[in-house]
Amino acid sequence: MDLPILNGHDLLNRRQMISLGARGFGALGLASILSPEILQGSMNPSEKRDRFGLLENPHFKPRAKRVIYIFFSGGPSHIDMFDYKPAMRKLHGMELPDSIRNGQRLTGMTSGQSSFPCVAPMFEFKRFGQMGTWVNSDLLPHIGSIVDDISIIKTVNTEAINHDPAITFINTGTQQLGHPSLGAWLNYGLGSPNRNLPGYIVMISKGRGQVQALYSRLWGSGFLPSKYQGVKFRSAGEPVLFLSDPAGIDRSSRRAMLDAVAEINRSKFQEVGDPEIETRIAQYEMAFRMQTSVPDLTDVASEPESIHSLYGPDAKKPGTFAYNCILARRMAERGVPFIQLFHRGWDQHGNLPSLIRNQCQDIDQPAAALVRDLKLRGMLDDTLVICGGEFGRTIYSQGSLTSDNHGRDIMVDASPCGWRVGVCAKGMNMEKPTTSPTTSCATQCISAISMQPSSISSE
Amino acid sequence: MIENHNLFRMGPVRLVFGSLWIFVLLANLNSASSAEPVSYNDVIRPILADHCFQCHGPDEKTRKADLRLDQKEGLFGAHGSREATVIPGDAQGSELVLRIFHDDPEDIMPPPETKKPLTDSQKSIIRQWVQSGAPYQDHWAFMTPAKPTLPNLVASPFLQNPIDHFIAEKLEELGLSPSQEADRSTLIRRAYFDLTGLPPTPQAVERFLNDSDPRAYEALIDELLASERFGERMTLAWMDAARYGDSSVFHADGVRHMWPWRDWVIQAHNNNMPFDQFTVEQLAGDLIPNATTSQKIASGFNRNHGTTDEGGAIDEEYRVEYIVDRVKTTSNVWLGLSMECSQCHDHKYDPISQKEYYQFYAYFNVASDPGMQTRNGNTAPLVQIFSESQTEQLQGIRSRMATVQKSLQDREPDAETVSAWVNSLADKEPKPRPGLGPWYQAGPYSAANQTEAFNKRFGAEKSASIDTSKPFGQQPWTQKDYADATPVNLELPDNSAVYLHRTIQSLSQSQWTASLGSDDGIKLFLNGKEIMGTNNSRAVGPDQDKALLDLVEGTNHLLLKIVNGGGNSGFYFDLRESPLPENVLAAVQKSPTEWNQDDRKVIRSYYLDNIWEEGKSLRDQLRTLQSDEKSIMDSVVTSMVMGDQDSPRKTYVLDRGHYASPKLEEEILPGVPAALPALPMDAPANRLGLAQWLVDPAHPLTARVAVNRYWMMFFGDGLVSTVADFGTRGAIPSNQKLLDWLAVDFVESGWNVKRLIRLMLTSGTYRQSSHVANHHRELDPENRYYARSPRFRLEGEFIRDNALALSGLLNDKIGGPSVNPYQPPRIWNEVSLDGNLFYKRDDGEKLYRRTMYTYWKRSAPNPSMITFDAPTREKCVIQRQRTNTPLQALVTMNDVTFVEAARVWAQNLILSMPDASFRERLDHAFVMSTARPADELRQNLLEDLYQSQLAHFQTHLTSAEELIKAGEYPLAKDIDPAELAAWTIITSTILNLDEVLTRD
Repeated sequence: MDLPILNGHDLLNRRQMISLGARGFGALGLASILSPEILQGSMNPSEKRDRFGLLENPHFKPRAKRVIYIFFSGGPSHIDMFDYKPAMRKLHGMELPDSIRNGQRLTGMTSGQSSFPCVAPMFEFKRFGQMGTWVNSDLLPHIGSIVDDISIIKTVNTEAINHDPAITFINTGTQQLGHPSLGAWLNYGLGSPNRNLPGYIVMISKGRGQVQALYSRLWGSGFLPSKYQGVKFRSAGEPVLFLSDPAGIDRSSRRAMLDAVAEINRSKFQEVGDPEIETRIAQYEMAFRMQTSVPDLTDVASEPESIHSLYGPDAKKPGTFAYNCILARRMAERGVPFIQLFHRGWDQHGNLPSLIRNQCQDIDQPAAALVRDLKLRGMLDDTLVICGGEFGRTIYSQGSLTSDNHGRDIMVDASPCGWRVGVCAKGMNMEKPTTSPTTSCATQCISAISMQPSSISSE
Repeated sequence: MIENHNLFRMGPVRLVFGSLWIFVLLANLNSASSAEPVSYNDVIRPILADHCFQCHGPDEKTRKADLRLDQKEGLFGAHGSREATVIPGDAQGSELVLRIFHDDPEDIMPPPETKKPLTDSQKSIIRQWVQSGAPYQDHWAFMTPAKPTLPNLVASPFLQNPIDHFIAEKLEELGLSPSQEADRSTLIRRAYFDLTGLPPTPQAVERFLNDSDPRAYEALIDELLASERFGERMTLAWMDAARYGDSSVFHADGVRHMWPWRDWVIQAHNNNMPFDQFTVEQLAGDLIPNATTSQKIASGFNRNHGTTDEGGAIDEEYRVEYIVDRVKTTSNVWLGLSMECSQCHDHKYDPISQKEYYQFYAYFNVASDPGMQTRNGNTAPLVQIFSESQTEQLQGIRSRMATVQKSLQDREPDAETVSAWVNSLADKEPKPRPGLGPWYQAGPYSAANQTEAFNKRFGAEKSASIDTSKPFGQQPWTQKDYADATPVNLELPDNSAVYLHRTIQSLSQSQWTASLGSDDGIKLFLNGKEIMGTNNSRAVGPDQDKALLDLVEGTNHLLLKIVNGGGNSGFYFDLRESPLPENVLAAVQKSPTEWNQDDRKVIRSYYLDNIWEEGKSLRDQLRTLQSDEKSIMDSVVTSMVMGDQDSPRKTYVLDRGHYASPKLEEEILPGVPAALPALPMDAPANRLGLAQWLVDPAHPLTARVAVNRYWMMFFGDGLVSTVADFGTRGAIPSNQKLLDWLAVDFVESGWNVKRLIRLMLTSGTYRQSSHVANHHRELDPENRYYARSPRFRLEGEFIRDNALALSGLLNDKIGGPSVNPYQPPRIWNEVSLDGNLFYKRDDGEKLYRRTMYTYWKRSAPNPSMITFDAPTREKCVIQRQRTNTPLQALVTMNDVTFVEAARVWAQNLILSMPDASFRERLDHAFVMSTARPADELRQNLLEDLYQSQLAHFQTHLTSAEELIKAGEYPLAKDIDPAELAAWTIITSTILNLDEVLTRD
């Protein structure tokens, strides 16, 4: 059964085939900006598939070679970070107008409220960079300082009003379960140039706020073969599960074992002619190489002091977002094509004003440092850094205004099918309380993208 | 947008259908020398489905030019001004042919912008089909199969049973010939893994190799089919299809208990439950008249899906989601159809309209389970399942309860006894009421804690008389105006006590009763004697305690001590004539002749409850029994089952599949798609009727789909390779005659599963060698036609089970709740809600249960199994993928499960063969793991490895000691660490060999 790809195909029924094109990243055009290099002649088909993926030669000129997707899980408040809405001051304390709500449904968290008072922006925003982009200057000064290197997209939205369906939707293209994640698709379609590391790596860090659940399906392979799923790198202990040899087995013993395994497997291949045996021999060798290449990759301590200070005070602490950002850059350098960082703790309700400060403290300097670091190395031109969450927060208050409960609930608009991409480079209409009629009182998942608007192909 | 869409469409579809297609074409050209008409089902429909149905197929909304090519009428009926799209025998006059050959990009079909161009050979074959008369066939899978006659073939050893006749006929067509039979070592290991998921023991191997009976192989298969391990092996695959899990999937993904359903599936397979019954009980066990507990448990099949508990979720959105899941799972598993495609629109390729989808949906839409379910256990409807010992204990308890209750009745005192008691009462006559002096209070007195405050004597508590003009200990007395017979607030500091004193003037020596209450502790002294005391923590109320006061004639001194542990404090005091409640006292003070019925009742019931000693003890017994009964009932296992609403909700088409957009203008009643046979006449209009429809012998899909799935288990892939899709875009059967024969035979046998599997495993086809010859690779690289046996990597669960079995660690307990074996730390909390949920590993023999019993948390499943392609089971999966990755190598090399298995296996090899040479032990290890001794190459290689590792560990004894500590299983005493470590290297090496990870 040396045909994992074919096995995979057999499993794709037509519903799945339909769903891939229309959703996921079809409209984002990611496929167009990621691409393998030129084909090399000497590889066997299985190697070629791992290297170049199913597509071999996409029919788009590639712009990006890799993606770093920073995912803020829990519903980061877009209106307190990137989506400045000064006009809300006029509405402060007033009932949410129907013209904004537009008949949208509410979650069970607030649907029982008798009143939906609007809340004015609670933080200071300033214009940053040559383009004068508005960013929360209280919470995100570092991001403000790199704002000319990113695009802020304010029209990404989801239909879901709860964390589980929203986060599943945005990572797999549908809130219904069983579909491959974005990274798995890219891994399947485009392969990976690094033969010693997985093509899709996931890292998780935890902030200080209220933590929503994650699920392995968010980086899973759905109905694609499991080899395309994200490999979770871990912050403590072994970076990859089962990477280390057991206590008592050293490298030379391991090498001797693998030599014996390979030789016996080769003789089996001679006997039965099953090409899958050859693949297995190659995979054991790659496992052996990973045992060296991964520790080399995760040796963040070897970075110069200047890098550690660029990424901020947490940069040396394993498991922090800052540490993972440095790791992400090291992975990108080694050719890992899809790297996803989950930072948890963004589920702020009544306690938003204080908790968002901690969360932003965790991410502001490291995220900005990552973009800056990539730029310094000349890698920002072909690395797409995406940053966003599963949804944002409402402009109305959860609870009453007279209490200190200025929390904002999630609420989402009704765009049925996938991400719509628009680019807001210069400030969009700031007078209107919302950036689009559909995102109304609630919210988008803001995405910040590390590329100039012109380099992103939209519909 | 379109380009991206297409980018993903073309790859997979082309590859799958493309490769098959070339093959079919070759087969056709080879065998038919182009005189034979082209088969519509095998050749033409797949082309039309791929290239034309999107716009000219079942979906009304996307249909162009009102032309439908998926139906006979559309192809051959009038269309617009034309007589027909296809005129049989007249390719030049047929619009279909004209358009596909058209030069003008405006007119050519398919239109270039759809990016689905036909190849030249596809165009030619369509023209050839039209020219030769355009023979039409309905989609094969929707027609009831007829049992094909056996091909007449020259006898050969290959032809063991009918399966082989069909296989041989096909191979002959293709110019292939069957492989020779595999050797017995291969056969026994293959059959063991296929039927039990475990390796044969060396004893079983030896017995089989030496069995000279010509039916030895058949006997082996019979033995394995009878093994209880068979049920486990079959259940593992069914767990994927049934999306079994031990957690609820959405949001918190909390614990649930569905293992009784899993046990049911194991039992059903071991009892060889006929597949029709297996179907009916799982889809509608709860609706079978007088359903047994077991049948209800079976219906839990459709409760295995994910459920939510998320705070802000909308109930209806999820309830609909569950119904959608049930439709998908039921149609994928039994019909081999992707019915889920029609939730939002008519099916694009198969004849299932959106309305028909909701007819099917209506069967499930009356289920009573809600959208919001629990994150902690099971949500109703459910059944309670009593274990044998629970049943036994409950029976015991209940029969003892009956005995006690009977005694209570039988031994109830008669009226004379009660009267005698009344006569003996001192309170019969009213007494003159004593005079109560005012309250004096001393204190509060502080203490370190409540106990000290209660125990410490702050003054002369036991003095027979108290002079309130003198201090009591450190504190003076103050007169207080506290009312009787009502709770009095004292406002004491925490951890303090206060004393209350009053005099009681009695005219005679008499007995009175003090009714007391306190917040918190209380002590009562009368004339220097402590009468009662209790150190509680409570709020004050009347009648919390009672004390009998034996008053002397003249002045009596009553001293109360009230203790406060914290918070409020207070007391209650009332002097009563008798301990009897007032109504009882009133009654007993009447003459018996004046008693009315109420008086008798009051007296009697007081007597029975308070005076009758035997009754008190019997009631105590009863209470103990009741609490025993409750604790058993609380520990009784439950399992979720299906259940319909008492007043069923109505079903409507949901516009675009959206839960909040029902099209209320038309109520949808339960029903099945028109393209499939009608419901049986007497079928009830509920799930039971649906299940009966599925197992109707004339149903074209159920038996084929089931047979195909069993085939896949033993031959690596289905005869229809798209095992979950028998629709028009599914793969064409590689051997339809065989599939049909098996399906019809299966139904005729009474849906006898073991018989079917026996037929497959005793076939010559199954017994072939798996060696891949060069001409196989050229003519049939994917082994679609079975000129050899497939060779494939074992499923992840069996890889672990194999290691456990070889090491001797395997715990062979069958069924029961899931267990938590080794798992690296922090797998759960890394993703769990709040980040605080930690995996709690089991100890001892639970570490070594078969892997199918590993607790399956669907948001963070066991990572080793996921690495080996186990699905998360959030959704129905009918065919697992089979990948080959470096991460798998890391698992079998480094996961403690495998390292421990290697060292325990090594230990057993050394201990059980104390005087054996290295080579003898190695041979034994190979017989255990591959059913054959090690050959020269393996012997030499591994002996070299052993010697080098032995030398290494002898000089690195600490390393050896570390290695042989892996896992929890105790290390044997008196074993040389270097030898054991070196042997562990060998056994670990064996566990990583392709031939051990693979079923040959």
